Parts: sequence; C-alpha cells; structure tokens
Amino acid sequence: MNEEVARHRAGVGRPPRSLVSANLLIAVLFAIPGGYVVWRAATTGGGQFATIASRPTLEPLWRTIQLGLLVSTAAAFIGTGLAWLTTRTDLPLRRFWRIAVPLPLVYPSFVGASALQSGLTPGGIVHDLASVTGISMDLRLHGLFGAWLVLTLFTYPYVYLPVAARLSTLPTSLEENARLLGDSPVQVFRRIVLPQARTAIAAGSLLVFLYTVSDFGAVHLMRFETLTQTIFRTRLFDQDRSFTLALVLLVLALVVVAAERTIARRGTRTQVVGDRPALLVPLRRWSAPSLAICTLVVGLALFSPAASLADWGTSGWTRQLRGGASLRLGADDVLGPMWNTVWISVVAAILAIAAVLPVAYLLTRHRTRVGGVINAVVVAGFAIPGLVVALSLIFWTLHASPFEFLIGTLPVLVFAYVVHFGAQAVRTAQVAVSTVPRRMEDAARLLGAGRIRRLRTVELPLMAPSLAAGGGLVMLSTMKELPATLLVSPIGFRTLAVEIWNTYEAAYLPEMALLALVLVAISALMTWMLIVRRVNYLA
Amino acid sequence: MLNRHHRPTTLIAITLLLTTLAAGSTSCGGDDGDQTLTVYSGRSEKLVGPIFAEFEAVTGVTLDVRYGSSNDLALAISTEGEKTPADVFLSRSPGPAGYLDDLAMLAPIDTKTLDRVAPTDRSPDGTWVGFAGRARVLVYNIDEVAEVDLPGSVFDLTGPNYQNLVAVPGSNSSFQDWFTVFRLRNGDDVATRWLDDMVANGARFYPKNRAIIEAVGRNEIRFGLVNHYYNHQEVAANGDAQRSANHAFSQGDDGGLMIIATAAILDQSDEKELANRLLTHLLSDSQQRYLTDTVYEYPLAIGVDAAETLPPAPADTVGAMQIADVAAEFTRTIEIIEASGILDQ
Repeated sequence: MNEEVARHRAGVGRPPRSLVSANLLIAVLFAIPGGYVVWRAATTGGGQFATIASRPTLEPLWRTIQLGLLVSTAAAFIGTGLAWLTTRTDLPLRRFWRIAVPLPLVYPSFVGASALQSGLTPGGIVHDLASVTGISMDLRLHGLFGAWLVLTLFTYPYVYLPVAARLSTLPTSLEENARLLGDSPVQVFRRIVLPQARTAIAAGSLLVFLYTVSDFGAVHLMRFETLTQTIFRTRLFDQDRSFTLALVLLVLALVVVAAERTIARRGTRTQVVGDRPALLVPLRRWSAPSLAICTLVVGLALFSPAASLADWGTSGWTRQLRGGASLRLGADDVLGPMWNTVWISVVAAILAIAAVLPVAYLLTRHRTRVGGVINAVVVAGFAIPGLVVALSLIFWTLHASPFEFLIGTLPVLVFAYVVHFGAQAVRTAQVAVSTVPRRMEDAARLLGAGRIRRLRTVELPLMAPSLAAGGGLVMLSTMKELPATLLVSPIGFRTLAVEIWNTYEAAYLPEMALLALVLVAISALMTWMLIVRRVNYLA
Repeated sequence: MLNRHHRPTTLIAITLLLTTLAAGSTSCGGDDGDQTLTVYSGRSEKLVGPIFAEFEAVTGVTLDVRYGSSNDLALAISTEGEKTPADVFLSRSPGPAGYLDDLAMLAPIDTKTLDRVAPTDRSPDGTWVGFAGRARVLVYNIDEVAEVDLPGSVFDLTGPNYQNLVAVPGSNSSFQDWFTVFRLRNGDDVATRWLDDMVANGARFYPKNRAIIEAVGRNEIRFGLVNHYYNHQEVAANGDAQRSANHAFSQGDDGGLMIIATAAILDQSDEKELANRLLTHLLSDSQQRYLTDTVYEYPLAIGVDAAETLPPAPADTVGAMQIADVAAEFTRTIEIIEASGILDQ
C-alpha cells in the first residue's frame, strides 16, 4: 500500500481502467475529422506523393510554417506581457484592461481583417483620424506582413488568457522573497514569473499556431497563399489535391503538437497555487509606457476594427436621415440570433471542458504512452479547417454511424464545436488539474468525502480560474464560428455570426457592421461575467 | 482506490444525457400534414428570401432553406450523397451546379421550365437553369467623364487616356470568372499581355467591388471593372449623392460578361414536381420583375425586360462556355493574375 501511495504521489501510477476507457472514447470522437481527412486522402486516385512533393504544395507549406511561427512568437510576447501587466502590476485601469484585452478574439476573421484593413487605408476612419492629428499612415496591408499583423492582433488572447489565469494563481511568497532579496521587477519576472508561466505560454502559442495555419478569412483577404487557402481554392474542383493538402496540414499540426508536449513535459511538473491575493508590482516610472503598450495593442486589435464598424454602421443611419434607404435590420434579426449565440457558446464551452477534463487527468497524473497519442488527437483537431470538420461530421453521421437521425439537429452542431475547439481547453484543464495538491485531495478522502463532494468542494474551486480561461476560449471561438454552423446547424438556426455573414454576402455593410458590434458587446459582457471574474477568483 | 476516478465516467454520462435531451427538444418540429421542400441556397437570404416567402404564401408549401456559400453547399450535398435532404440547389454561378451534374446527382428539369430561358442560359443536358444574371461592367465617375468619351472595348483601357485611372479587383472571384473566360476566348498570350499592359498603364488594385464603387463615387479613381449591381445599390442608398454610373462595353466586346445564378433539382428528391414548381416560380414574370426591379439583377426569363436603369446586358454568359477542366483553368487564371503584379499596384 505504501509503495502504491508513493507511486501515486509521483504521478507514475497506472491509470485506472475507467479513466483510460473514458479517454479512449474521447479520442475516438475527436478523431472523426482527422480520420475523415486521412481516409479521403488515402482513397484519392493516387499521385498523393507527387502532389505533396510538388512546388504548388511545398511553397504554400513553407509560407504556412513561416506565418505560423511568426504569428505565434509575436502573440507569445504580447499575450504574456499583457497578462503580467494586468494581473501582477499596479497598472492603472486594470479591471478595464482585463475585459478588453481578450476581446479581439471574438472578431470573425473576415470581419475583423476587413474592418482593420479598410480602417487603415485611405478613406478608412482610423487613417483619416490619424491624418487629422498629423500622423501619416500609408499602410497597405497585404502579403506576409499584413497576414502576420492581423493574425497576431486577433490571436494573442490565446496566450493571454491561460497565462493570466496561471499568473493569478501563482504563490506570492517566491516573488516576495526575491523582491526582499533585492531583485528588480524585471528580474523577478524573468527568474520567478516566466518559469512558472512557461507551460501556459507554450500552450497558448500552440493554439495560435494551429489557428494561424487553419485560418482562411484573414490570409484570403491579405492574399497570402497558405495551405488552407489552397485547400479552399481547390475544394470543389480538385478534391484529391484539397484533401491531400489537408492531410499535410494535419501532419504539420501533429508535429507541432508533439514538439509542444515535449516542452510542456520538461516544464515544472508541480504547479503551486497561492492562498492569498497576488503581490502587485509597482510600475512607478514604467506606468506610462506600460499604459501606452496596452493602449496600442488594444487600440489596434479591438478599437480600430470597432471604429471602422461604427463608421459603417453610422453611415447607415445618416443615409436613412438623408432620405436614402433605411436600415434593413429589425429587432428579430438581432435578438433571436443573440440568444442562440449566447446559450450555444456556453453549452459548447461547458461540454468542451467536460470532454477534456479526463484527458487532462490522464496527462497530468499519469505517465502513459496512450496519453501522448490522445493529446495529439484532441489538440490537432483545431488545425483542421471548420469546413472539413463539418463535412466529416456530415459524412460520419449519415454514412458511418447509427446516428443518422441526428443530422441537422443541435447535438451535431454542438459536437462539431466541441471537437473543433476542445483543443483550446486541454492545456488549461491540465493546469487546472495540476493546481490541485494531491495532499488536499488525500486529506479530504481520509475525512470521508466522496468523489462528487471532493470534486465540488475541493477541486473545482481550485481549478475554476484555469477551467474558466479554457472554457472562455472555446466560448469566444464558438460565438464566431461560421462554416460548421452554416452546414450542420438545424435549418433556420441563426447565430450572430450567421446573420453577419448574411448581411456581408448581400453587401449590406451598415447592417453587417452593427451586428458585428452587437457580437463584440455581447462577448465583452460574457467575458466579464464568465471569465474575468472567475480568473480573478483568487486574485 | 476504486472510487477515485469516477469523474471521467460521470462527465461522459452527463454529456450523453445532455446530448439526448437536446436531441429530444429539437426533433419535435415538422408537421406531417404539410408539404415541405428543402432548398440549399448559395444566393443570399437578403436577395432570394422574399421570393421563397412568396412561394410559401401562394402554395402553402413550407420551404426549409439552408444558406451558405455555393461551393460549400455543393460539397455538403456531394458528401451527403443519396441521403441529402436537399431538393433544390441554388448556386451563384454554373460551376457548383456543374460539379453536382458531373457526379450525376441532378435530375432533368421539366422542359416547360427550361424553355423559360434562352438555350445559352441553361445546361445542355437540362440539369440546371439560370434564373438571374450579373454583368461585368465599367463603373465611372459622372462628374469627370462625359458619356461620349466612354470606351467601347476593354482593350481601350490600356491606352494613354486611361493612365492611372482604372481600378481592378484582381483578387475578386467574379473578376477571376471574367478573366478565365476572357483568356479562353482570346488565348493566354493576348490575355496576359492585356493584364500586363493594364499594370504598365498604372491600373490600381482594389480588393473589393464595393470599395471600387465608393472610390469612384468620391473621385479617388475615375474608372473600375466591377459587377453591375453594386452601383445600383449605392445609388438606391445614397441617391444623387452617389457620383458614379455603370457603363457596358459595346455588344460582343470581351469586357462584358454575364455571370448567371443557377437553379437545379437533386436526383434523389421525392418532391421533384414541387421542386419544378419552385423553379417555375423563380422564373415567373413577377419574381423575375422582383429580381430586376428590387435587387438589380438581370432577369433571364424570355419576355421579361431588365429594369431600365440597368446597362445593356452583355451578349456572352459564362453558362454558354463549356470549360473542360475548371480547376486547372482557375489555377492558371490566378497564376497569371499574380504574375502580372496587379495585386501589388
């Protein structure tokens, strides 16, 4: 018994059979999109290897890797810096920044990128406002630079949220001691904070990489031909090539996921939590530059697209006032979709957390080979474009499962969200599990608390900040999801993203802009209620 | 030890339970008595929604409409295969319908319906029919350009009179549709030279049709190659304040092209008669009038005239051109456009 307890403490014990079977079930479900890609690529007419080795594949592949690395590096710096500033320093207006900083994640790629692009070019509101104040901007956003800038600005929250969650639970004692021993805030950051946050940073950067390589909206607008762009361009008339390239993308994702897991495993295995409010580093003379950085990032990523949207929206009002066409947007177009967006994104987030928690338990508390495989299957699903996820679910539901009756119902849609975005909650769930000290759980058990009671009273409160951060990512991603929503939702089920797309397709610019602003406002409210307050649980 | 890891199984159970509940709550729609037709529409709800509503009101049939991009919906239908719930498929252009036709997934449409349009506006084997057209035109600033000075041919635009004055939406899919046909008509050499000459003549790149209309309206640039309906939308919205107008090239000039939206019936549909009724409705005089008067498209039904404000319809349609290898042709088009450098102008 003693030996068993020791092994259990060290985290090398054999996982219980129920945990392994739960994990296998989850892995099978998450493998549906990837499995479909493999099957389609394998059953093409042949010549896959010729396709893969050809210039039209290798060039976009190289561009994809380049963009993925550049964006994830930049997002890692911005996300970590902002997380530290907003959770560990006396930065002014912290509460505001905590709500505003994660929000750029909610812009649907095509809306955010086009709003940012047209705002910054001549005739756009940001450009014109800047030239009034004497700043001349002549940014023509396109190519690698444009794609890098846009994707960095819209994806750094993937790093920010998990890192902020980690930092807000960090024990203060180490930092206090370091400060007492004479370390400057910068030294404290480098020597104490950074090592503790390393796994969260790596996890967030991984998500940024996977998002970047599977994004279509932004790279399309910036005319930067990545693999995903080629996959979309050939999706109808050259499906052999399209699915072969999707397979290449999947393999790239698996390689990166494996690399990140190696880093994560070398990282600190015992994460500790603080039991009192975190120490706030006084910024003093760095206060103004820090504010400037926050303002610049949030200004570019959140407010400049919002300014373009507001500009387009008001052009609709003024048009109406001048006697032109009235706004073609009624309350019904907004309220129903708004409610659908809210509830389905919350449901998807909760189910995603529930689905990845067993994976997190297996990965954190046990060392097994199967854990690595399951991790790869679940996380790599995020790199598969949403359209392919939708097609795989259509195929699987109708042709390869006993669930044909579920086609066109909400469970399939929610399932698509969970399988596609569950990856975003895996690492934060691992952090959550590792923040529960074994001794606390053991003590509770010795005192006779049952499994459910321990979960409710001991573990969930400790895990809440990290789980909320991961769930928040899933929620925000679900709120803007489009391709799967259009193809597998019940007919007539509308989310705000669907309505935005509808107006965008019909070139109803003012209406599209107003709907997008509603989406941003709603997600700000939900971010505050469900994530920020949770993440601050201990802070 | 036994009860330590109950949580995963509990969570799975909860998940399954919720899923079942959700299934129960959504599957209670659909009355048996009503006739229902499922439509996959690649045309936007804002454009075709009223046409569907009218059909429902007149016939009492319920239409379940899934909106999406034409290519994605065609992919969904081919993935659903014989189990697709779709009865009718509307597409932005003939390509996606042709793709389903190649998979033998489309049913022949009633001759009576097909005969509502000219032979060039339907597929040779009668599996899809055009119902609305969008024309490629030249938009110009009405304060800066006199009507008599407008060019007759797209080839004129490479001349000195148009230096630094023309906007080209090189990355836009309608422009690429047009350029593909332009290339197939004139050969790669002529088409490539035209585009290179445009670049040399200082043509400017804009990513979107609408951005061009706005730029021409405020005289940021004088001309632009666009789809015709954006200007009509802007004029309807802004009235006289919109200082731009459409110009059609001379009849038969390669600058003009009609891109047609198509309707098709799925072969596995159990409601083919009803589906034919919907297509007939789409091509009826009243709905064709709505399409041209309210959303400024070209009607394709014989005997229905385009709204007076629309420029003369181009003689050529994409539907009339049989393209053997669509993917290869589009890839070639994009290569030429990218090599020309227009996208960096």
